[in-house]
Amino acid sequence: MAVVTESEARAVRRSAPPGRPRRKVSRETVAAWVLVLPFVVLFLAFTAGPVLGSLGMSFTDIKQRDLRTPFSVNGVGFSNYAKALQDETFRKAAFNTAYFVVLGVPLTLIVALGAAVLLDRGVKRFQALFKVGYYLPVVTSIVAIAVIWRFVLSPDNGLVNTVLGWFGIHGPNWLGSTTWAMPSLIAMAVWRNFGSAMIIFLAGLQGIPQSVEEAGQLDGAGSWQRFRYLILPLLRPTVLFTTVTTGIGYLQFFEEPMVMTKGGPLNSTTSVSMYAYQQFGFGNYGLATSMAYILFVVIAVVTFIQFRLLKEK
Amino acid sequence: MFTHSIRRRLVIGSAALTAAALALGGCGRSSDTGTGTGSQPTTSVSQGPATGKLTVWAMGTEGENLPKLIDQFKQANPGVDVTVTPIPWDAAHDKFTTAIAAGTPPDAAMVGTTWMGEFADLGALDPTPQGFDNSGFYQGALDTTKVSGTQYGVPWYVETRLVFYRKDLAAKAGFSTPPTDWDGLKAMAKAMKEKAGAKYGINLQPGGDGSWQTVMPFAWSAGANITNDAQKQFTFDTPEMQEGLKYYQSFFTDKLAGTDLPPNQTEAQFVNGQVPMFISGPWMAGSVAKAGGAAIKPNIGVFQIPKNKTATSFVGGSDFVVFKSSKNKDSAWKLVKFLSDAKTQASWFKMSSDLPAVKSAWQDPSIASDPLLPVFGKQLEDAKAPPAIVNWEQVAKAFDTEVEKMAKSGQSPADTAKAIQTKATAIGTGGS
Repeated sequence: MAVVTESEARAVRRSAPPGRPRRKVSRETVAAWVLVLPFVVLFLAFTAGPVLGSLGMSFTDIKQRDLRTPFSVNGVGFSNYAKALQDETFRKAAFNTAYFVVLGVPLTLIVALGAAVLLDRGVKRFQALFKVGYYLPVVTSIVAIAVIWRFVLSPDNGLVNTVLGWFGIHGPNWLGSTTWAMPSLIAMAVWRNFGSAMIIFLAGLQGIPQSVEEAGQLDGAGSWQRFRYLILPLLRPTVLFTTVTTGIGYLQFFEEPMVMTKGGPLNSTTSVSMYAYQQFGFGNYGLATSMAYILFVVIAVVTFIQFRLLKEK
Repeated sequence: MFTHSIRRRLVIGSAALTAAALALGGCGRSSDTGTGTGSQPTTSVSQGPATGKLTVWAMGTEGENLPKLIDQFKQANPGVDVTVTPIPWDAAHDKFTTAIAAGTPPDAAMVGTTWMGEFADLGALDPTPQGFDNSGFYQGALDTTKVSGTQYGVPWYVETRLVFYRKDLAAKAGFSTPPTDWDGLKAMAKAMKEKAGAKYGINLQPGGDGSWQTVMPFAWSAGANITNDAQKQFTFDTPEMQEGLKYYQSFFTDKLAGTDLPPNQTEAQFVNGQVPMFISGPWMAGSVAKAGGAAIKPNIGVFQIPKNKTATSFVGGSDFVVFKSSKNKDSAWKLVKFLSDAKTQASWFKMSSDLPAVKSAWQDPSIASDPLLPVFGKQLEDAKAPPAIVNWEQVAKAFDTEVEKMAKSGQSPADTAKAIQTKATAIGTGGS
């Protein structure tokens, strides 16, 4: 039979063996797309769109008044970036941010690791209580923290200067001095943030099998040697994770100067995020977004370097 | 730290998002942008009572108290329905600019005087119609409503700055009458320190947020101006400005004012006699009395800004405007007219303690019989506001930073003036 009728052809197609891939895949694909669609739409509308929009904005001369006539803005190439990099205050802010990261990240991690080791080894009994205590600042509102720290650092009757006074030391005006304002904020940030890294270190420490330590003990390693040559290398993934997340968080340093010093005195605590935020407030959207993207690139580079240095071979 | 970084990303992300959303919302409206042409419209407010619905925004305590005043307006205009929305001060600027960009501002609103230039430049404000008696307002306050020659809205309430001093300590220092000129103020600050046992003679802001409001009165008094008459060019680098800055700095170099005082302690230090003078606005009489109780009240004295060429102070406060996009402008202007009436202003003072912008309202006994307020009234005759330029907030920030360098790290007044001029010129006056 050379002629195949319509109905016969349909019958053949219908009875096609289930192993034939074409139809099945396409049905699954459609279902997958339908299921994923809400996310894709939301992602495009609220994440990718604004991100691309802001990237585009950083290459224009857009100002607040242009919001009503978005097609009147002009492309200006990289001039916002050049302007930001030439801006004396921006450079000062970049220096301050670097200062904060270089001192703040290691300090936070050392304090966090120290606390985690003490909790893991020493105080089994009140472990939960200490965990809550150390973690409490992480979940407390920065505004409430600011009120307390302003009292602690107050030059006249603050806690720090009162204690220093007992030893005959006349403490400085912590937040009002260009030398001491930044260290004060670093101290505050370490106190506020080490709890979250500590929790992760603690989980890492508790994931190391007891047998590793016992093996070390049998080989005659002292407690420092065991920590240095056994525990620390095994903690490497945890250290990488906390370094990266703390580093990113600290590069975006914003809340502490915002609530404590407003960037002063003499811009000594202005951070890059804060300066970009100020430029948004002034309606200089092009300049502000270019600063945000400079920060983004720096964060990407720093994170890449951290991965390179700390990743397990 | 996750929360940390995520929250930060949200701050920047949402700012970008808002901007993008605003840009979308702004699509298609192109008719009413740009500033006024410089001429006042010939429209006038119609006769008869106000009708229809009105939405009004007001900030801070004004927003909370305004409904009481609106009740009086409703009694005279039974056909009108007014909704007052109170907004917190620190959220107000964003709320206004967002609403303006989206085309959904209220019919009328209270607006901080330093925002007038910006909002007018955004094309949001309706020029004041004819038939408003502008001669009754204090000139400095009226000036804040004018952007490039066009008047938008009317002054609603005012404040100005005076020198506050401790009468008892002044007597101890040998001053029975307050000084009237620059040398006198300096001598008094010195005597307060040497004879009355004060730590510093006077509390002056060593730079930082809003310090321009304390510095500019001295610069204005020395004959300086912020811009030229056309408001197109900044004139910060002039001998007059330098003279004002130099006088200001001398209080710090002579150790008559301190750079190491903790903020927000002005009242406490005034009460305990450590710093028995400061320059501020009318609200401080209340907060000092609150900090010092009944004992301090008879010892609070005020005097006008001391004289150089003039004795000019700073005038602040708020204006009341009608938005261009309002569908009920006629009734909105009737409300504004009611608010700027001398009688309304006097009763508003009793509700809010806001000082009237209309001169005749100061004859009300509640103000005229106050021991301190009439001095503010007199100072208002010679008080200035910064010109209503679009980028003022940004220029002011640069000014504050340079003043901080001058007060704290000894930058010379000449370099300070030059640096402010350079920065301000780079920022530009804004607008078209």
